[in-house]
Amino acid sequence: MISKQTLKKLAILSATFTFVASASAQRTVSDEAVSYYKANCISCHTVGGGSLVGPDLRDVSKRKDRAWLIRFIRNPKRMIDAGDPYALKLLKESKGQIMTTIPGLSAAMAGKILDMIEVESELPKGKSRFAGLSIPDRPLTPEDITAGRDLFLGRTAFTRGGPACVACHTASDLTGLGGGTLGPDLTAAFARLEGRKALGAWLSAPPSLVMQPVFKDHGLEGEEILQVVAYLKNVAESGDAKAEDMTLAFLLCGVGGAAVFLVICDFAWRRRYRSVRRPLVNKSGTHV
Amino acid sequence: MDVRSQIAMVFHLDKCIGCHTCSVACKNVWTDREGTEYMWWNNVETKPGTGYPTKWEDQDAYKGGWKTDGKNLDLRSTSKTKLVPNIFHNPTMPSMDDYYEPWTYTYDELFNAPEGDDQPVARPVSMITGEPMDIEAGPNWDDDLGGSKIYAANDPNLDALDPEQREQMRAIERMAFFYLPRICNHCLNPSCVASCPSGALYKRGEDGIVLVNQERCRAWRACVSACPYKKTYYNWSTGKSEKCILCFPRLEAGEAPACFHSCVGRIRYLGNVLYDASRIRDTANKPDHELVDAQRDLILDPTDPDVIKAARDSGVPDAVIDSAKKSPVFRWVKEWGLALPLHVEFRTFPMLFYVPPLLPVMSVVDGNVISNDTDKLFADIEKARAPIEYLARLFAGGNAGKVRYALRKQLSVRLWRRHLTVGDISKEIAEQALREAECSPEEADAIYRLTALASMDERVVVPPMQREQAIEMLKDPHEHKQSAGFGFRDGPMRV
Repeated sequence: MISKQTLKKLAILSATFTFVASASAQRTVSDEAVSYYKANCISCHTVGGGSLVGPDLRDVSKRKDRAWLIRFIRNPKRMIDAGDPYALKLLKESKGQIMTTIPGLSAAMAGKILDMIEVESELPKGKSRFAGLSIPDRPLTPEDITAGRDLFLGRTAFTRGGPACVACHTASDLTGLGGGTLGPDLTAAFARLEGRKALGAWLSAPPSLVMQPVFKDHGLEGEEILQVVAYLKNVAESGDAKAEDMTLAFLLCGVGGAAVFLVICDFAWRRRYRSVRRPLVNKSGTHV
Repeated sequence: MDVRSQIAMVFHLDKCIGCHTCSVACKNVWTDREGTEYMWWNNVETKPGTGYPTKWEDQDAYKGGWKTDGKNLDLRSTSKTKLVPNIFHNPTMPSMDDYYEPWTYTYDELFNAPEGDDQPVARPVSMITGEPMDIEAGPNWDDDLGGSKIYAANDPNLDALDPEQREQMRAIERMAFFYLPRICNHCLNPSCVASCPSGALYKRGEDGIVLVNQERCRAWRACVSACPYKKTYYNWSTGKSEKCILCFPRLEAGEAPACFHSCVGRIRYLGNVLYDASRIRDTANKPDHELVDAQRDLILDPTDPDVIKAARDSGVPDAVIDSAKKSPVFRWVKEWGLALPLHVEFRTFPMLFYVPPLLPVMSVVDGNVISNDTDKLFADIEKARAPIEYLARLFAGGNAGKVRYALRKQLSVRLWRRHLTVGDISKEIAEQALREAECSPEEADAIYRLTALASMDERVVVPPMQREQAIEMLKDPHEHKQSAGFGFRDGPMRV
């Protein structure tokens, strides 16, 4: 029987082989890696654009050896759980945000992405196409807040057809039963992601397991990102730290709604126990 | 012309003695199981009376059968829009009280009760709950006008009478009644089949018997509402609906159905008729008073060469066409015009026809003497105890002429036979009666023969069922042989 230790060793060995194999290949930027990076990494990382949620990846391969990097990219959580000191340091720097584990990411793909980052890192600082986002820099206006709120609530649709935020998220300024409860409360999102740049990056390609497949082909446009950011900033700066807990209200509404429904059914089908014979007997005044 | 064969029936009400033997025979064969206790696929009602289930003829209450505006034929019970809001509850079904709560008696206590001061008795026990119960009603609770203040007085067909006639029928000494045995009519245009959301009900192509597929039935009970004769029943134990199957296993063996076989009065006639299925829709849209004739027009003459050719083209086997030529039903319904459909205004075109009863004339109580104002006790159909309007409401969609014709012809046959056998009626009077009834002496003899003398073979002409051909159309006969039989079965399979 093969022990876990042996398996780990084998995994490292194979990763190393992959590294050697790809290192020997010509350093070109593969299109596959670019689109993969755009879909999965861009929301948290820049190359030479400063850190967002995650660190700036410029010259990352000079900071840590390639085998370690591939291992970390493929399963960051395991490295953290295993107590790897550098991984814990990264965790601390990102204020406890654990990097998302992307299912199905192969060692080969991780290698290609690292190659691409190396090529991009050779460009002067800020010149990489991944240095930052193409969202406008202009100051946020009150109109942006209103427009962002409309987008959040789905009153105006996203240009590329993504679903409105309220379907899964809530925020403290929503009245009534609030928004959805599938995703986290976004009241503190602006603060949690430390500002406009990181939040904008997140919104440009949401990387979470649930959002990624939904928004992959229906991402937000630059101006829309700005408006949603404006709204979330406004929410974070004004009012409570989190949305009101609606669980009890939901429960009461459900119980009340069911009761009203049953009363209506009882009325609509009030003749369901009607009998034809019984009234004839009663009308005749005969005792049976 | 789309010619098909249908097994049709005639019940001769003048011969029914109301003995319920048919009901008991059917009960013992088919509905002696858990969940079927309350079902009477065959029942005998007293008319006037409300029947079983109570007031089944009142379609304002039960919404059975079809309604038409002259162009569109629609089910009264349901529609696509009514189906959705009533999806969990079908609102127009008879309650258990309308059928009756089935019961038995604690017979064991007669033998096993501990010794005591009192005589042990067999108490009535509900067959639904198992608890002791007070019997308040039964399937023939109004038998022989029992509880007539409640039941006979509320017969929906009495609406056809004016207040004076109603009063006459109500006075107990003058009360007239007759029996009405009922089974599934195996209609040409069955509303139960049309209403089934699961497609479990079907009309057998080769003989028109209406059946419920027990494997497809999903307990919607739409058929229970839709059948205007209330002849589909819901089995609470299996969760499936059941109905009269016209003893098709017996028919397939060439035997009469159990109720036909056991009939003491020999009132029941069975035989196949050919009909034109393509005209059913147009016929069903006709007004009430035309329906008796319109339905008769659907039935085709099996001796007509054009009909025979069309029947062959439609795939009716020659043996079945030959059988139709011997059908007693064809003679009663088409040739003689004596048999009439029950409540043809429900527009399902029942294939069970009734020869209306020729009752004695109405009598009056004068002091202590019962007398009548005519010297012809049976001879005056206009003064018969059951008014013609009442019978017309039952058997002719309100068209009294059809009932009058049938009664007059029966009366003329009686007079003719009395002239021949007893001789106290002169030939002139007898012949005049035949002329008035549009009946020849030969026809009168034939009617007499089929009424009084016919043997079982003449009364019940079971067509060759040609099951092998019907099965071949659906599946491989060898495969069928493996999967056919009683209950839920699948053929043996090689795994």
